Amino acid sequence: MLDAIDRELLKTVADLEGLPKGAFNIRKNGRLLKREVSANINIESLADGKGITVTIKPGTVNESVHIPVILSQAGLYDVVYNNFLIGAGSDVTIIAGCGIHCGGPEPEGHAGIHEFHVGEGAKVKYVEKHYARGSGRGRRSLNPTTKVILAAGAAAEMELTQIGGVDEANRVNEATLGPDSLLLITERVLTEGGQRAVSTNTITMAGEGSRANMISRSVIKGDSRQDFHATLEALAPCFGHIECDAIIMDNGKNETIPALKAHHPDAALTHEASIGKIASDQLMKLMSLGLDYDEAVNRIIQGFLK
Amino acid sequence: MLELKDLYFSVGERNIIDGINYTFEQGKFYGITGPNGSGKTTLAKLIMGINAANSGSILFDGKEISQLSITERAKEGIAYSFQQPARFKGITFRDLLAMAAGTEDEEMLLALLRRVGICSLSFLDKPVDTKLSGGEIKKIELATTIARNPKLAIYDEPDTGIDLWTIQPMVRLLKREQKEHGTTTLVVSHNRAFLEAADIVLMISEGKLVYRGDLQGALPMLNDLSVCNYRKCVGDRDVGCYR
Repeated sequence: MLDAIDRELLKTVADLEGLPKGAFNIRKNGRLLKREVSANINIESLADGKGITVTIKPGTVNESVHIPVILSQAGLYDVVYNNFLIGAGSDVTIIAGCGIHCGGPEPEGHAGIHEFHVGEGAKVKYVEKHYARGSGRGRRSLNPTTKVILAAGAAAEMELTQIGGVDEANRVNEATLGPDSLLLITERVLTEGGQRAVSTNTITMAGEGSRANMISRSVIKGDSRQDFHATLEALAPCFGHIECDAIIMDNGKNETIPALKAHHPDAALTHEASIGKIASDQLMKLMSLGLDYDEAVNRIIQGFLK
Repeated sequence: MLELKDLYFSVGERNIIDGINYTFEQGKFYGITGPNGSGKTTLAKLIMGINAANSGSILFDGKEISQLSITERAKEGIAYSFQQPARFKGITFRDLLAMAAGTEDEEMLLALLRRVGICSLSFLDKPVDTKLSGGEIKKIELATTIARNPKLAIYDEPDTGIDLWTIQPMVRLLKREQKEHGTTTLVVSHNRAFLEAADIVLMISEGKLVYRGDLQGALPMLNDLSVCNYRKCVGDRDVGCYR
């Protein structure tokens, strides 16, 4: 059921050597390929078949669920709506990701619209990797939307990575934070050639004592372009920070716009942003350790996107 | 083992290094000192290839290296500790140490920590980023230099940001490296502790080598150069002439 291309894509986007243990849902070319549920994690298809609802029982700890998507059908643009209902007090990891293999001239793409409802005191780690490959010249696009609603005391850590081969990406991240909740988002995007990626982030800090930290790391090679927009909006006493760094190489272009909006006098919002080439002192240090120029550049980028 | 011949480096009209000739001997410990802006760091950078000399030659173990890149000089056996070490994102001390030593073997990395005298193993997985204190990053810089097992180790102001209690152990470490590994050591410093440890003190002023010898002989000149003095120069034995 999994061919060699599927296995390679699954390995890259979800670190899977084969079928995972525990609950999982693998979607291939717009259809369910294989699903398993566990005693605490249930997965159900939506009535229209265009997505799933993952329900995690309250108090579920140390469990994970894999929901990768693989595409290798020319001309297919797969749209999927996934809901995650994470029960109070649970502590789980969700591993998503989309791998595209494009073998022909027709475009292929995927839009995953993910909505997370994280219950009171629950913790979730969400890992999502996007990757495309193949010798075909068809454009590969990935347009994910992530909405996170955190209840009181809930915590979500989101690792969102686009590692290469994606011609067009339009990402939207939205979050609403309840009292004493915590949101950490780390987004890493590498573009090259003529690729284009846009990331639009809106974090609303509605609850008192909520905390948010959004980190963006972009590497823009060749003639590619990335735009990063992030807005932190505080409606209560809270702490929020945006850190966005972009490394530009070749003719890469970048627009980074962090925005802070405080609607409460006790809100503390900060941001730091930088765009530039690789710092020469970093290159010189690694070269003084015996690496040549290209090895030093690769090592710095590898670390930056780690 | 390192010979500098008619070395010049200029920026615009100004000679930062103004015709230096000197031969460093194998296994010796050199303290390079002089007033701020005299050209000490520039000289060290010319040797490592961080800046390229305008003219002159640099012979390392008899081989002309002045046209070699930083990487090539590192591979020849020269290591360099930066005065202001680079800070990274996503690179840990372990990563740097492994690159420097050419191995990721845990035992070998731990042996290096012991050799440098960094006791805390938790140090190994610290990110080398802006959160490190000035002292911590200098210890990391020193360790990665020693991990290269260099024939020639250049330390540019190794005590910057280091607490007073760590300076003597640091001097002892560099002396031990000199003694046990035969490392030719060049320390650019204003700190008396390093200059006292040096076999030979070199003093640079306005890009020229104005003194070579022991620390005692250098002290009058150092004292003179460290204060403002507007009197007229009265001959070539007057240190004021070297200002």
